[in-house]
This record gives sequence, structure tokens and C-alpha cells, in this order.
Amino acid sequence: MLTDLSIGMAGSGGDGIVSAGDSLMTALAIEGYFAMLTKSFGPQIRGGESSFRLRVATTPVRCPGGALDVAVALNWDDFLKFGAELPVTDRTVVLYEAASKVAPDALPLKGVTPRAAVAVPIEQMAREIAGTEKGKNTIVLGLVAGYFGLAQAAILAGLKKRFGKKGEDVLVRNERAFQAGVEYAQAHPIPSLEPMAPPAARTPRLLTDGNDMTGAAAIFAGCTFFGGYPITPSTEIMQYLTREIWKYGGTVLQCEDEIAGIGACVGASFAGKKVMTATSGPGMSLKTEILGLASIAELPLVAVNVQRGGPSTGIPTKSEQSDLFQAAFSAHGDVVRPVLAPTSVADTFGTVVEAFNMAEQYQTPVIVLSDQEIGQRKEAFERIDTSKFQLVDRLRPGDADLEPYIRFRDTETGVSPLSHPGMERGNYLASGIEHNEHGAPTANGAVHARMNEKRLRKLDPLALRRDLFETYGPADAPIALVAWGSLAGVVVEARDMADAEGLAVKVLVPKLLYPVAEEVYREFFASVRAGLVVEQSHQGQLYRVLRMFVDVPRGLKPFARSGSNPFSPDEVLARVREIAGQFRADREPVGQAG
Amino acid sequence: MTTIEAYQAKDYKSDLKPIWCPGCGDFGVVQAIYRALANVGRPPHEIAFVSGIGCSSRIPGYTTVYGFNSVHGRALPIAQGIKLANPELLVLVAGGDGDGFSIGGGHVAHAIRRNMDLTYIIMDNQIYGLTKGQLSPTSPRGLKTVTSGYGSMEDPVNPLLYVLGYGGRFVAQGSPADMAGLAQMIEEAIRFPGFAFVNVQSPCVTYGQPDQQLKFQKQRMVSLDSLGHDAGDRLKAMEMAQAYGDKIYTGVFYREPTPAPAYEYYVRDRQQVLAGEAVDRSRILDGFAPPA
Repeated sequence: MLTDLSIGMAGSGGDGIVSAGDSLMTALAIEGYFAMLTKSFGPQIRGGESSFRLRVATTPVRCPGGALDVAVALNWDDFLKFGAELPVTDRTVVLYEAASKVAPDALPLKGVTPRAAVAVPIEQMAREIAGTEKGKNTIVLGLVAGYFGLAQAAILAGLKKRFGKKGEDVLVRNERAFQAGVEYAQAHPIPSLEPMAPPAARTPRLLTDGNDMTGAAAIFAGCTFFGGYPITPSTEIMQYLTREIWKYGGTVLQCEDEIAGIGACVGASFAGKKVMTATSGPGMSLKTEILGLASIAELPLVAVNVQRGGPSTGIPTKSEQSDLFQAAFSAHGDVVRPVLAPTSVADTFGTVVEAFNMAEQYQTPVIVLSDQEIGQRKEAFERIDTSKFQLVDRLRPGDADLEPYIRFRDTETGVSPLSHPGMERGNYLASGIEHNEHGAPTANGAVHARMNEKRLRKLDPLALRRDLFETYGPADAPIALVAWGSLAGVVVEARDMADAEGLAVKVLVPKLLYPVAEEVYREFFASVRAGLVVEQSHQGQLYRVLRMFVDVPRGLKPFARSGSNPFSPDEVLARVREIAGQFRADREPVGQAG
Repeated sequence: MTTIEAYQAKDYKSDLKPIWCPGCGDFGVVQAIYRALANVGRPPHEIAFVSGIGCSSRIPGYTTVYGFNSVHGRALPIAQGIKLANPELLVLVAGGDGDGFSIGGGHVAHAIRRNMDLTYIIMDNQIYGLTKGQLSPTSPRGLKTVTSGYGSMEDPVNPLLYVLGYGGRFVAQGSPADMAGLAQMIEEAIRFPGFAFVNVQSPCVTYGQPDQQLKFQKQRMVSLDSLGHDAGDRLKAMEMAQAYGDKIYTGVFYREPTPAPAYEYYVRDRQQVLAGEAVDRSRILDGFAPPA
């Protein structure tokens, strides 16, 4: 039986592609499967081509995977537009619309002979059984459920929920359409096709995307103010909070622009609240000046950048990891601000909570670098035990600190007690202009140097945060992979595959990207002879940043390419094999595992 | 409970020595603000005073309240964040004509239409003083400056019409040449329960034109009260505001007769209505359980 199955589907707007993906995903989560759903669209506001790929497994899913096990093409023109996102190989079963009149042995797939190709009269079945072409996606759900024995009861329950309110007639037609799909699969068996194994436990999984998770994590962390401006692909964060934050005494302010969004956050933070803004690359560019203000005024603030293709408008709907330089360095003046990156939807929770804690602890802006992939993909994942997350609040002045209050007092840690309007005797002047410990403006070079030193010293403890790095594989492995954000899962999976082939490979996943925790990398690289920093940016931005701060092994190279070109574990594995082969050719130790 | 008589103007004055040139109009403005705050009587720690960048934006530092001397043009968004974070605070915003109507001009319209209970004071000197004498958004057409050596080719912004045009609910103009009148106007603006705008003709003694200085200003000033102006009539206010750049009308151009509830009122209402739907924060992720 299968324990891991990838399904891809594409069609035109109106084919209900997205709702088919969502229905299947929900049903699988209810059944207790782990799953991941990524959607992809053409550039049209409405209509146009759309697709999803869904990977379901009996163990946690780390990445969307590579080649599809099942490809569903409602329309070949649309399907082919998604090229690399829906890769078909000789292990793929292709189900496609019979009305396309394409023969099973003449599919428009260059150089690929799929494992099986079945032309199904989907449209005709939809019209005859569901009474409308809109039933096509329900037929497909039936086909997939029928061929792989997947979640039939939960899908039917989902149909009831979705169509029940549209009347008994609509519901019955859709139930019949689903059943027809199942029966079609049974009547047209594909030789030696294995069904999907049942889930390990029939425990419903949590189900959401990275953007909604960001909003929920913010509320958990005690965020009561969000200021922002709509921008793809981050807007769902603001939309989630617009629904939820009021319940917790908070406010969302949709501002006139990106600058006002972060400006309002700085104001609310000054007034004592935990605050967050969220945006994507162009918005981060606009917010940059006020990030600097938050740094010098030492005000806690979380800024989330759900990265997309850049520069400028770039590709708003596709994932890229090309804003690391911006996050780390886009500031005038000697500024260091922490940059954190989540590795999955589930991991977004802890990462965002950590960002709030860091912001409050060190009175600094903290940037969360999510990406479109994580922000907008859905995952079905294990429940998170929220009780293991501690929350940090800013250091507030006690009575002794108010006699008199010295806002920017240069303490041993560099962190000074922070008052807020309304607090008696805590009055001070916050400013973007350089100031002395009392907050009075100054142009004195000695004071400037000392305040710079104080502001940077605050962050020294971050160098010791080994808990913000994940490692996988044998500690003495000579081959290393480094990846961050949504590519972490791809690389960890590739490592597991290499391990299965007997190659000793280890992986480092930094969740704290900046400041660079030099010692953590030094320790990790000690055994490393060669390896790859795998990232979705043209320049290989993490690789470049590491070379600024760390003596990386000579054999460590970037494996980097522009966004909108997904990586698969297979191709990372292929590169690892090449590196291992090079070792053999050089008569170097191959690094056989165990 | 603090009584109104408990505070005097000096209680709002800080020890910082202003960087302004001797004779700068802004000295009069800060004095008027001290007086207005003393009359309103809120303790300094319950007041937040936000500014941007420019000579006049140094002003929060010369008060004892919670000040925020921020970055160029962004005082209004920051002030709105403060107000929403704690609606009980008295929030003042100030800056120059460049800060408010050039680099920060895009924020003014939205602060007006959102209508939080803020008082926005512009010290309008028709020149960039801090950077030593460049053209400002309110400089008159034809003005020769170091960035308009052959004379300005642009019409100036009319701050009064700008704010009235976007629906400003309280719009006034004053001058440090009439300190008592200015203090009273600022006090009235603070007491107005919504977004209140005061344009102050505050001359630049170093880079300003001779005919803008206080003693000439006095000759050009005409009080709206003396003309029997009806401050409840927006169209009439807009008509009077057209004289900007020519005559200096002082007083309240427009005051919404029945002030609408401020933004923060709706925020509080929404929070109260929805508070009952909150779950324990530790259970926030339950919202992601698939619908069984």
C-alpha cells in the first residue's frame, strides 16, 4: 500500500480546481492524514488557468515533493502551462478529459510515457449526473478516491456541508457525481495500482496556511495592534487578524500605504502594545526607513515579509527567497536587527512567537522572512502543544527606575527599562535623532559611538541561540546541505533519500538568519568537505551572507536559482550524488553511512 | 483626581534649550501649547506629542509630555497608532509645512477621513529652514530660494483648503503674533472630539521674507470673529480659506456643529461586541481544526 501520494490537477477558471483541492485536503485532515496543498494560478484576476498539487502521506509531509503520482488534466492547454509545477514522469498515472480527443498514447507530454493514461468523459458525466459542468471537480474527487481508496466518507461529509445549504437536489446530484467517479475507477482498473494506506491514527490534523498561522501566532503572542496595507502574497495575514484581533482587545488598521502601516505600529509599540505589520518585498522597501526608526528608538516591532519574486513588482504570486539581503542590510546607519525564517506552516507558529519574544526582549524590530510557498500553502499537521511556548514582555521600569527615569540607560545587557505614555514619571522623548541616555538629541561623536555599541550589544545573546538551528544526519558527515525557509523541507527529504542510498550527508537549517551565529556554523562545518547551500534566489543570498561572516569549507557551493522554479528533493539528491561521486574520483573518503 | 487648576504652563516646559533661531515664530507656538495644555489640565504623562522632521518638529522635546520626534513626514501615522493603542491619551501632532504637506502630504487626507481625536498643529513658514532655505510646498509662486533661483514655478498648497476639502471637522489658523488667541485656539482644538487642524503662520526669521515677519503679520491679520464669520458653515469656511497667501484670517474657519463619534469610538465598540467570542489564547489553534 502507498504511504505517500502526490496528486496534481489543472484546468480553467470555473472548473472548480481550487475547491476540489480544498475539499480533498479537508477530508484528508479529518481522516488523520498528513498533507500539503499548493495552489497555482495564472495572472488573471478571475478565470484563467488554475492548478493544485496535493501530497498526502501517513507521516508528516515536509515538502510538495517532485513528480506526480496522479495528474488530472481537465484541459491540456491549461495543464501544460504549469510545466515544472506539475511534473509527469513514467511513474505518473494521467487522468484526463476524454472530450479533448487526445489518444492515451499521444499525450502532449514531450519525451514522457506515463505509467498509465486514462481518458475519462468527465464533462459528459458531470452534465448527465450532476446536471451541470460545475460537477466536474466532484467527478474527479470520486475518481481519485476510487483509484486510491482515499477518504471517501470524509469527502462525502464535506460535500454535504458544502452543498447541503444549496438544497437537497444540488446535494444529491453531487453525491451521485462523486459516486460515479468512484464507480468509473472501479470499472476501469489500472493494473498493479496500489491503494493508499490508512492514516497512522484517525486523529484529525490541524489544517491551515502559513499566513493564517502567522495571524494566530501573533494573537497567541499577545499582539494587539496590526497596521498594514494589502499586498500579495501576504494579505491573508491582515485578513485573518481583521476577523480575530478585536476579540482580544486589539485593532487592525488598514493604512493608506505601507509606510503608514509600519508607522502606526511604531506608535502603538511606543504606547505599550505588542505590534506586527506584514507585507511583501515592495512593501518592505517602503517600510525600511521606519524600521530604522524602531531600531534607534528601541521599540519592539515584528515585520513579516512573505517573499515573492522580485525586484520591483517581480512575480507577485510566486515564491522566492531573494529578500535576505534586504532583510539583513537594507538600512542606513549601523543597524543589526534579527531576521527569522519559518520552515513550514506548522513551524510558522513557533517562529512568529519567537519573533515577538525577541522584539520584546531586545526592544528591536524583528523581521520574519516567510515566503509565498509557506504563506499560501495549506498543511495538515500534528497538533501543536502551545503550552511549551513561553511569552516575553518588554522590561518595564520599576519604582527605582523612575527616580529619575533614564529611558536609554546603558545597562550591562544594553536593554533599558521601557515606559509608555500613561505611565507616571516615565515621560521621555523617543526619537529617530541620535540621543543620549536621557533621550536628549545629540550630535556628540562619543555619545553616538556608545549608543551604537549599546544597541548592538543587546543582540549578543543571539549568537548562543543554537535552538534556532535544526540539524539532521550524522554530525561527522563530510557532505553538508544548508537550506532555509520553504526549501528546508525539500533538502531534509533529499538527505533522507541520500541516507537510504548509504551516503553520509547532514543538513543545517537556520531559522535565525541574521545576525549570523558564526559559532554555530563553525561547529557545523568542522567535518564538512563539500556541500550545497540550496536556495531560491539567483545570487544565492544566504551563501553570500555566510561567506561574509564564516570561513565556509572550500567545497561548499551555492545551488541557487530564481524563484518560480520549484526545487524537488530528487534534483537535490542528484547533486549530492554528483558530489559523492567526485569524492570517489578523487579517492577521497566517500563518507559511507554506518 | 487631578484638578484643572493643578497645572501651570511651566509644568509642560522641559529643560531642553530650543535650537531655534532667536525671533523664530516657533517660540511663540510652544508657549501657546504650554498655556493650552495647562488650561486643559491633563497631567504630562497622559499626553503624547508626536512630530516629524524640521525646525518645528523639535517641539515635543521642549515639553515634559511623552514626546516622539520621529522621521520626516510620518508623524500622523505614528500618532494614530498611539491613539488606537490607548484612546485615553491626549495626542498632539506637530510639524512644518514641508513635513505635513510635502513629504507627509499623503497621510493628511487619511488622518482626516479616519477622524481620530488628534490635534494637528502645522507651523507654516513657507520655507525649508532646517536645510537652509529651500522651496517649501507653501512657498508662493515666484519665490526665489536656493532651489528656485529664478523663482518658483509652482502654486503653493493651501493647507486650509486642503484640510477643509478632505472633510476636516475642525480647521483654524493662528499666529504667534497673537499669543492669547493662538493658545485659546489650540485649547479649543484639543477639546474638539475629533481630528482638529490648526495652521500657524509661524515666520522663519532667518530664511523667511521680510513681509512675513511678526510685526508685518500683525498688520495683515484679520480675525474671523471680527468679520462675523459663521464657523458652522463649511462652504463659507472654504470661501474664506481662499484668501490663504494673501490675507491672514485668524480664528476658527470651521467647527463641525455636531461632532461625529471619533474612530476610536467604533474600535472600542467592535472590541466590546466581539470580546465574548475570544477563546483562551492557548487554544487559538483550535480554529484550524478541520470542520468535523
